[in-house]
Amino acid sequence: MVAVAPDLDLVRPPASPEEIIVARGLEKTYADVQAVRGVDFTIRRGECFAFLGPNGAGKSSTIRMLSCLSPLSGGELTVLGHKADIDERRIKERLGIVSQDDNVDPDLSLMENLLVYARYFSMPAEEARQHADELLTFMQLEGRSKAAVRELSGGMRRRLVIARALMHHPDILVLDEPTTGLDPQARLLVWGAVQQLKAQGVTIVLTTHYMDEAERLADRLVVMDHGRILQEDAPRPLIERTVGREAVEIWHRGGDDAPFIAAAGDALLLSDRHGDTLVLYAREPGRVGQAFALSGLAPERMLVRPTNLEDVFLTLTGRDLRE
Amino acid sequence: MRGTSRLLRAAGAVWWRDFVAWRKFWRSSILLNFGEPLTNLLALGVGLGAYVAVMQGVSFLQFIAPGLLAVTAMNAVTFDAGFDTYDKLNSSGVYAAMLTSPLTVPEIVFGEYLWEATRAILYGAVFFVVILAFGLVHSWWSLLLPVPLILFGVLFTAPALYVAAVARTHEQLFYYFSLVITPMFMFSGVFFPVAHLPWIVQDIIYILPLYHGVLLTRAMVLGQMTPSIVWQFVWLIVYAAVLAYLPVRALARRLTT
Repeated sequence: MVAVAPDLDLVRPPASPEEIIVARGLEKTYADVQAVRGVDFTIRRGECFAFLGPNGAGKSSTIRMLSCLSPLSGGELTVLGHKADIDERRIKERLGIVSQDDNVDPDLSLMENLLVYARYFSMPAEEARQHADELLTFMQLEGRSKAAVRELSGGMRRRLVIARALMHHPDILVLDEPTTGLDPQARLLVWGAVQQLKAQGVTIVLTTHYMDEAERLADRLVVMDHGRILQEDAPRPLIERTVGREAVEIWHRGGDDAPFIAAAGDALLLSDRHGDTLVLYAREPGRVGQAFALSGLAPERMLVRPTNLEDVFLTLTGRDLRE
Repeated sequence: MRGTSRLLRAAGAVWWRDFVAWRKFWRSSILLNFGEPLTNLLALGVGLGAYVAVMQGVSFLQFIAPGLLAVTAMNAVTFDAGFDTYDKLNSSGVYAAMLTSPLTVPEIVFGEYLWEATRAILYGAVFFVVILAFGLVHSWWSLLLPVPLILFGVLFTAPALYVAAVARTHEQLFYYFSLVITPMFMFSGVFFPVAHLPWIVQDIIYILPLYHGVLLTRAMVLGQMTPSIVWQFVWLIVYAAVLAYLPVRALARRLTT
């Protein structure tokens, strides 16, 4: 009998094919900075998963690792069933990566950018040309295929990078702050494209610090800060769990918060003050207003609005400037 | 076998990218790489040549022409690999984009060798046509010129890529050009035989790759191929082999943090 060394991959139960990206205890350390301090997350096939966090939270480091652009400092990371630190090539073949800097090739035209990139994936020339035409139309860049990249606006460059990332029909599209610096029209176009791709079954991974973007696009999200994951959920449950359903903003200069907080009573989930504004987060809509009326409280100025991700974000990560 | 075909395909894709970019500017690029050696050939070969009648049994113009061909190729490779790589790393993000595909750093470096070898042959060929027109080519051995030029494509590209990877500013690239490349150009036996220099200087010159390249191109163009010329080949091959891996680590450090 020959003893067979146990194969670790066989001992461990195989990841479900639905779990397209699995991170356990993921860490990233640069020379003297610990950017990611042991995070766990699981991304499922076909969903849009967002990383939220202020600058320096570790979002970009995390998705650079899952894009195999940056080696892991610790932990485990499996993408499409392959280990990120071993099967880099197999993963990259199936990944479309849109990085923060619009690194389109300035010496090439739009069409050349796409065709040259297809060559990096050994795509047949005829297929590449056809798909490039489709993608230029998809990103509304048709009619500019021969234009030089230098002539493009920022929004057009970003759209070209997205088109390029789609050249090889990736299973996963990774977008690092895809709409930073874009005008509202270009943002809408990018959002529309992401939603269409998701409808076609492409898994979307994105980082953003725009709350409306995360709320609109993400099925599930994590809020990161200081290299750790603070919360994970779908946007709506996360909002209701953290800051309730309604925010009441009361503006009163130098006044005392206590009467308002006392009047709100058990309708109140959380309160927060910044500058002259007191924010009361309520579990149910309407209850705080009723309580104020009963107590005869009339703030100088009051704004009642639904809660949003921004409230979650500021509550979890604080209001201090990061840079 | 599969590894080799994969490497060739990947490097071919990098070569193709450089070719498509070059295709746009090829006229000005050839003109730029051509002006200086042609000036040297005319000013020195014809001007100075009027006073230096004979060098090693041939006219001065005839003596310097093959060496200038080697220099043309060295410069075409060095400046392109230096500046272009610096920009691909620091401003255009061409390498960063390549790494979002399955291409790896060694494949990218190998692709750059293929491209620079192509440039060395191309710019060498243009200069060859000129010296041919001057009646300065005397041997069918010249048909073998692409062999040393291909080796130039590796051995002069490798240090230029390395310098581009470690340079923090454009100016730092010039240190390499003016402290390494230019002295090598002046002392590698292009303009005078080194045999009368002090022996210690000769020893130093003997380790300069351009020196062996110049001896080789001169022997081919003049048809003075002797068995000992094999040593010049060996030197170039050793240089190319030793230097080939030099830029891989430096580039990987810059690109995958």
